[in-house]
Amino acid sequence: MSFAPDRRDALKLLAMGATAALGACGPPEEEIVPYVEMPEGLTPGVPMQFTTALPLSGYARGALVTSYEGRPTRIEGNPRHPASLGACDIFAQAEIMTLYNPDRAKAVLNEGNLSSWEDFEKALLSQMQIERGRRGSKLTILTGRVTSPTMVRQIQALLKSFPGAQWRRYEPIHDDAEISGATMAFGRPLLPIPRLDQAAVVVSLDADPLGPGPYQLAYAYAFAQKRLARKGVIQFGRLYAVESCLSLTGANSDERLALPPHLIRGFIVDIANRLGAKLPQEALGDDASRFAAAVVEDLKANPGHGVFLVGRGQPAETHALCHWINRALKAPVDYFPPVDPVASTHVDSLRGLVEDIDNGRVESLFIIGCNPAYAAPGELAVDDAIAKVPFSAYHGLYDDETAARCKWRLPLSHTLESWSDLRALDGAVSVVQPLIRPLYDTRTAHQLLALMGGMLSASSYQLVRETLQARAPRDFETHWRQWLHDGIIQGSANAPLAPPNVTLPHMDPLQAPRGPSLTFAPDPSIWDGSYANNAWLQECPKPTTKEVWGNSIHISPSDAAANDLEEGDIVTLRRGEHSLEAPVNIVQGQAAGVLGATLGYGRRRAGAIGEGLGFDAYKLMPIGTPWAAHNVALSRTGARSTILRTQRSFHLAPERREIYPTVTLQGFTEGNIDISERRGLPTLLPEWEYDSYKWAMSIDNTLCIGCNACLVACRSENNVPVVGPIEVSMGREMHWLRVDVYYRDEPTPLGFQPVPCMHCEKAPCEPVCPVEASVHDSEGLNVQVYNRCIGTRFCQSNCPYKVRRFNFFGYATDDVYANLHAQSFDAQFNPDVTVRSRGVMEKCTYCLQRISRARRTAEKENRRIAEGEIVTACQAACPTRAIIFGDLSNADGKVSQLRNEPQHYEMLGHLGTRPRTTYLAAIENPNPALREKEE
Amino acid sequence: MAQIFRPYADSVARVVMIAILVLPFAIVGIAYGVMWSPYITGQHLTLEQPVPFSHEHHAGQLGLDCRYCHTSVEKAAFASVPPTHTCMTCHSQLFTNAELLAPVRKSFAEHMPIKWTRVNRLPAYVYFDHSIHIAKGVGCSTCHGRVDRMPLVQQASPLTMAWCLACHRDPAPHLRPREEIFNMSWSPPGDQEQKGSDLVERYHIRIDHLSDCSVCHR
Amino acid sequence: MSASNEVPAKAERWLQPPGRSYEAINELVSAPLLKRKKWSWKFWWIAFMASLALTALMLVCISWLFTKGVGLWGVNTTNVWGFAIANYVWWIGIGNAGTLISAMLLLMRQRWRASINRFAEAMTLFAAGIAGLFPILHLGRPLYFYWLVPYPNTMALWPQWRSALIWDFWAILSYILFSILFWYSGLIPDLACVRDRAKTPGARFWFGVFALGWRGSARHWQIYHVYHTTMACLGVPLVISLHSVVGLDFAASLMPGWSETIYPPYFVVGAMYSGFTMVIALAAAVRWGFSLQALITVDHFDVMAKILLAASIIMSISYMTEWFGAWYSGEHEERSLVAYEFRGHYRALYYAMLFCNCFLPQIFWFRAARRNIALVVVVGLVINIGMWLERINIVWITLSHGYAVSMWRVFHPTYWDYLLMFSSLGLFALLYLLLCRLAPIVSMHETRRLLSQEAQQ
Repeated sequence: MSFAPDRRDALKLLAMGATAALGACGPPEEEIVPYVEMPEGLTPGVPMQFTTALPLSGYARGALVTSYEGRPTRIEGNPRHPASLGACDIFAQAEIMTLYNPDRAKAVLNEGNLSSWEDFEKALLSQMQIERGRRGSKLTILTGRVTSPTMVRQIQALLKSFPGAQWRRYEPIHDDAEISGATMAFGRPLLPIPRLDQAAVVVSLDADPLGPGPYQLAYAYAFAQKRLARKGVIQFGRLYAVESCLSLTGANSDERLALPPHLIRGFIVDIANRLGAKLPQEALGDDASRFAAAVVEDLKANPGHGVFLVGRGQPAETHALCHWINRALKAPVDYFPPVDPVASTHVDSLRGLVEDIDNGRVESLFIIGCNPAYAAPGELAVDDAIAKVPFSAYHGLYDDETAARCKWRLPLSHTLESWSDLRALDGAVSVVQPLIRPLYDTRTAHQLLALMGGMLSASSYQLVRETLQARAPRDFETHWRQWLHDGIIQGSANAPLAPPNVTLPHMDPLQAPRGPSLTFAPDPSIWDGSYANNAWLQECPKPTTKEVWGNSIHISPSDAAANDLEEGDIVTLRRGEHSLEAPVNIVQGQAAGVLGATLGYGRRRAGAIGEGLGFDAYKLMPIGTPWAAHNVALSRTGARSTILRTQRSFHLAPERREIYPTVTLQGFTEGNIDISERRGLPTLLPEWEYDSYKWAMSIDNTLCIGCNACLVACRSENNVPVVGPIEVSMGREMHWLRVDVYYRDEPTPLGFQPVPCMHCEKAPCEPVCPVEASVHDSEGLNVQVYNRCIGTRFCQSNCPYKVRRFNFFGYATDDVYANLHAQSFDAQFNPDVTVRSRGVMEKCTYCLQRISRARRTAEKENRRIAEGEIVTACQAACPTRAIIFGDLSNADGKVSQLRNEPQHYEMLGHLGTRPRTTYLAAIENPNPALREKEE
Repeated sequence: MAQIFRPYADSVARVVMIAILVLPFAIVGIAYGVMWSPYITGQHLTLEQPVPFSHEHHAGQLGLDCRYCHTSVEKAAFASVPPTHTCMTCHSQLFTNAELLAPVRKSFAEHMPIKWTRVNRLPAYVYFDHSIHIAKGVGCSTCHGRVDRMPLVQQASPLTMAWCLACHRDPAPHLRPREEIFNMSWSPPGDQEQKGSDLVERYHIRIDHLSDCSVCHR
Repeated sequence: MSASNEVPAKAERWLQPPGRSYEAINELVSAPLLKRKKWSWKFWWIAFMASLALTALMLVCISWLFTKGVGLWGVNTTNVWGFAIANYVWWIGIGNAGTLISAMLLLMRQRWRASINRFAEAMTLFAAGIAGLFPILHLGRPLYFYWLVPYPNTMALWPQWRSALIWDFWAILSYILFSILFWYSGLIPDLACVRDRAKTPGARFWFGVFALGWRGSARHWQIYHVYHTTMACLGVPLVISLHSVVGLDFAASLMPGWSETIYPPYFVVGAMYSGFTMVIALAAAVRWGFSLQALITVDHFDVMAKILLAASIIMSISYMTEWFGAWYSGEHEERSLVAYEFRGHYRALYYAMLFCNCFLPQIFWFRAARRNIALVVVVGLVINIGMWLERINIVWITLSHGYAVSMWRVFHPTYWDYLLMFSSLGLFALLYLLLCRLAPIVSMHETRRLLSQEAQQ
């Protein structure tokens, strides 16, 4: 069962938490504020964990939320949930920051004036009377993608009682092409989910399964199953990527080919023809056709284990053709009935709304939890349309662009404050339970819909239970408790359908664009813009370019040279009457003739964090082909701006390869692995004696896909402060764990390497600290004692790995970006970790608080800490399980075993630092056929 | 020409020179003394409390077990100050309209917590855990003193880091057998030296780990 | 300049007081202190006001620094050290020369030191004091700087003796104490001298107090010489150890370009180098300001220029040794660091440094150059700038180009960096100007001795 205190409690507890546990020093006389009634099952200072589910574009990812005295502080993945499998992506983890965000909509506004739910109820009832009169013919509900069974039930009920009413649904990051492609191929919309863990050959055409998205964690996990090279066990697939912009999938591929969108279509046609489809051949370069040939060879060599993926950017017929190919290959793909109940495509749905409004067919408009006034193709001019509606109500988390155009602005409860239910991509249902009573006077979408239906004081809790009643007619309570405990309703996932017959689509010839194309992609850090006001995510470096606090136009080196552009030059992009100005960023691996832009920036009403950053790419988004605008005009303005990045992308000089060595799978199997490393060098310093645990971490570069989950996890677990764009530009970002990115030699473009503290046994930082703030503990941890640190910074200047972070200002407390000077943020702090003050050095502690908790528990029970009992935050979040933490003194522990792998190495081992954090070299699996021909 | 200085000038000079040598050390010495004084440590100070709750009466005369109110002392870091509900379990029958208890009844009625003043206060960066100390044989009175004799509870120990370390470096003299932990009147027996080291064995206390910074600071 | 270019008779190189009388020397030196009316203090006041303003600015910088934090400076996660450390090393370098000159030259029987050791030692004192300030300002939490002191505390904690910063702390502390004693004891006979010449009771009283009842008896002089020579013997190793320890701050690390055995000696020479340039500047100033051409002669500048020449050659060799060491070590990090010195982001600074410290001083091979006081002073100041560049290069280049390639970043100074650096010069000048008004700026008793020695030849 769940405990959720009312708001008063929450704040009292906050006070208690603050006095009892937080780093913030209170007044000379501290208070102890006990409960009046001790909530059942709660022990002050002992965290409780609850399951829930969090939506991304409507789809659920299961979560385990840690809460102290009813104060959610940390979100991790729910192992039982198919879309999270225990891992947790950056968006889910950052929901904590959204929950406590002081910019959230807090009260009902009418025409921008403070109002109340009561007033709204009155206005609503009269409006619904009118609608009832005309059977809802001028009533429209606009939502994002809705997967919540309860919400679907409620909306359908409404549509029944208002037969003329319209339900429009628009999700900015939509899958229109997938759906219509599937319809084209199978005659019905189907959702294909490739089983990457069974595919020896994966060909990704502009698709990004490893990139951000509602199913990223599941895909990444499956991918990792085919990325395993250990002594004895080798399960290793080959990933081909053909794409226009460098995606995470492309960055992790073994063979990559950069092509503009239209040539990618040509590429798949070529493949199809090689597999026996008799389609008119389309223009394709030599490289591309050679690549295609190699791919087909590879596919034929692995019958039944090759699979094609096509991205949302490709037109429907390409998707259809991809289905045909997959059937031809007997590819391991599951076909699911779509979870999304609305049939029409997102863009049509939204266009329909605009037309309705223009033709005066909408007089009451309800917009629930989506922001089309910002996140929609510019040429639709949705915001103006909305403004025309006489009675419009917006129900959202923020007072955003859409809210500004609506008569009524209704504050929406955050998912962590609501009872609801959500479905994952595969249809699995989980119950959303609140971790805290609403902080402000907000309501859930269920309550609003109930209100529209005339139910004045509906409780989401009851509504959800009514919906789910059907799933367990008998003994509901037991099931209900079980579902809440598991965070998922077992067996609620859709069964994959038997692969239906597929028809070869008719590919009508298309002409190549004359000018450059501009492609659009969700932003890896702030998705479609809905996370724009989240400081954690704004400061989360974008995986491939390490940009923060903004976006840029990505351009290929050749195009940059052609237009003599340098990084930071501001250009104007024009398409029809729409145009935008943006800085360019020269990106290796970007297809020539293609410009890449990410969505979500240039927010006009996002909040203190999100406004005025980057440029709004939606402006140029066409309605016809939403993911690529062709023939855009590019011209340089002459102005310049610096692109904020935490790291440059570069090749490692050959002699520095020991930092990030790579091994080919062939080399690995043949056993010739030359990792030039010098380990266990003699030392003059006395040896430490470790007579108990020896904590160590092992990171597999092969498995790291650079998704940043670990980085955000660390920030959230360890109260790592946000420093803001100015401080980043000074080179002072605070991430304890950074994900280094290197351009590798062709074929694979990027190598990712998470770098936490190395916890050296011969740590250079220790002997130089004059006050022993940096010390070695008896379990081999290199600990930093904040309260002893005086900030000489000798430790960092002497750290070869540069993993220490210094509080040049009071980032955690005084700085604006720490909390926007709003107390609500303090509730997010982890009470088990000191909040560091200005002038002290800090760094990765291997999540010392978790070690200590486990140690105390074990010692109370007079036993040793068991293998796997301690899971660091970064390890917990990692979808591919690239990070393993454990006890070296346990010889058959996972970490000890990994240390015996042939590709194991110590970073900068030749310095004799004896790091406890060690790595497994990246193993890549290039296609020899393609290599040879190049030489 | 006239003398500038009288003979005593010599003595003055000597005194000054000696002072130059002695003063720095004297100052440090005095400062050290002050740091140990209750003025800084807050030891033995009686603080104003919203309700003059007497441990002497409840724990001493009535002989209530510590754990009756401080419920989580064995399981959690915080011993936890009891919710108002706990007070009312008795005081809904006893002294139901005693003036002293007005704040308690008020709190219970208005569902607003009583704001006690913290007596034993550690800096925020010290992560003290009651449960582990109890599990390893450190009794209440070892740090909190004879609470059962305090009308208003005081801080019995200096709670300085040196004081903590003294025990963390050599716990044996302070350890008790399980059954004695909540015994306020326990005092080390004659053969504590022997008993203590036996207990270190029995409780599996790894003394060489106890003075790691990471034990208390995170 | 009134300097004549022909060499005086060997015996009289160092002094040409009118009538070659002791009284003349006393008169020359004590006049500014006792006959103030006869003196024009116009330039003194101008200089004093200027330095006062700069000192005020320094206080502003420091108080703002304490309110906001070291984030005011250009330091970043990779270049965690910056101006504060460079300034510290630079000042302590200057702080070295005074004692080096007077103690070492004393032991080496370089009699000409008599005319310059007084203000050289004073320079030491002030420079070392200012230098001692910078490490504290550098701290993230300056109010806890005393944690470096092994004092009894309720935390039962001690400083960490393995840290070079602790050695540094002791080195500076003992050095400052030593300098005060050495300088003050050298001052005593002169204070007594002034006391006896003073007319006003105030002057007689105060000079009397600080003269500690010096009567100039044979016994006094005997004790004094034994004591002074002993102190000098202590002083020389102390000076050398001090700057060696400063060198160890870097050498005791493992960063490329820092962990080099050459650092301690190389730092000592560097210190003497920059220190001497400062002495030259001050000598010229004092000589002109108090018209002491008779006591500070062209030959003084000549010899000091020679010392600069020698030092510059040693410095050049040290640089080359670094380059060679990097190549010979075979460590690619070391090698690429040297490459970075010449081709990297700071190359301009590095070339400027080589010009100031290695090439320019070579003009002192020419006698004419050595005997042109203006030129010597200017070149000296340029060298001093070069020495500052050397220190900032040491800090920046290594930190910006360490082992962690992905963390390579450069340092962008903020105006707070510059303000603090320049205003610290103001404090130095201020202290110096005050000294000129309060104490004999040239050692009378030693110059008198020198005169007698010259007479004997």
